[in-house]
Amino acid sequence: MAAPLTENQATGVVGFWPWFFQRISGVLLIALLAVHIWMGHFSGLRAVIEGSQEELVLYSIVQQRLAQGLFVFVDFSLLGLVLYHGLNGMRNILLEWPAAARRAQAMTLGLWVLGAATFVYGAWALLAFML
Amino acid sequence: MALSFRTWSLHGSASPDRNSGTRAGWWAWFLQRLTGVALVGYLFLHILVISTVQAGEDAFNSVLIVLQKPFFVVLDLFLIAAVVYHGLNGVRVLFFDLGIGLKQQAGMFWICMVLTTIITVVAGYFSLPLIFRN
Repeated sequence: MAAPLTENQATGVVGFWPWFFQRISGVLLIALLAVHIWMGHFSGLRAVIEGSQEELVLYSIVQQRLAQGLFVFVDFSLLGLVLYHGLNGMRNILLEWPAAARRAQAMTLGLWVLGAATFVYGAWALLAFML
Repeated sequence: MALSFRTWSLHGSASPDRNSGTRAGWWAWFLQRLTGVALVGYLFLHILVISTVQAGEDAFNSVLIVLQKPFFVVLDLFLIAAVVYHGLNGVRVLFFDLGIGLKQQAGMFWICMVLTTIITVVAGYFSLPLIFRN
């Protein structure tokens, strides 16, 4: 049988929408990470082994990739979705801690601020390859 | 402190699963949490590494060259294993949410473990030239 609901899930502290979007973002991340990991670690493997390319990932390679709309979409989607999924997962864990559960609203706000700030920081880094 | 969280007992660490007679459910949950927290840590490091590009093309390349040395390629395999397990077990949990496979949950955990192992070994095999290059 499935792991039983935690006390918080059972009492709805986690909330329906965070639960729902955790699953949606998770499924999207499987597809996006497959592309991301393939491109970063395996697509250039033959060229590196044969010596026609120095490394799998270098500035010029990322720059060429981010000149294509597809990878702009993949990278910015990944950044946003993975931050949501990861921090929402941390929220689920923290809510099991009574001290944090009592301050759930402030904690959730704090995680959103952290996520938004990290998104801006990550987007600023990605833009350096594009501008 | 984590051990005082009520979920550690709610997730059945003390007693075997009703259907499988094993603790597979607890292990699945524990590994999901372990890989999840580890991946969040990695995520912030990853964003930090990529942001070195703001110091210029050369700064970015010098960092990335170090991070593609054999030691880090081996670390990447642990990363692959963590991502693959977390994703596969996530799908397993999603099935349960849809009411599918509840009675096969232990078997589905083992399928996750076997697939994670296979994918990591295949990734490791293809990475061998990078691990042993001069």
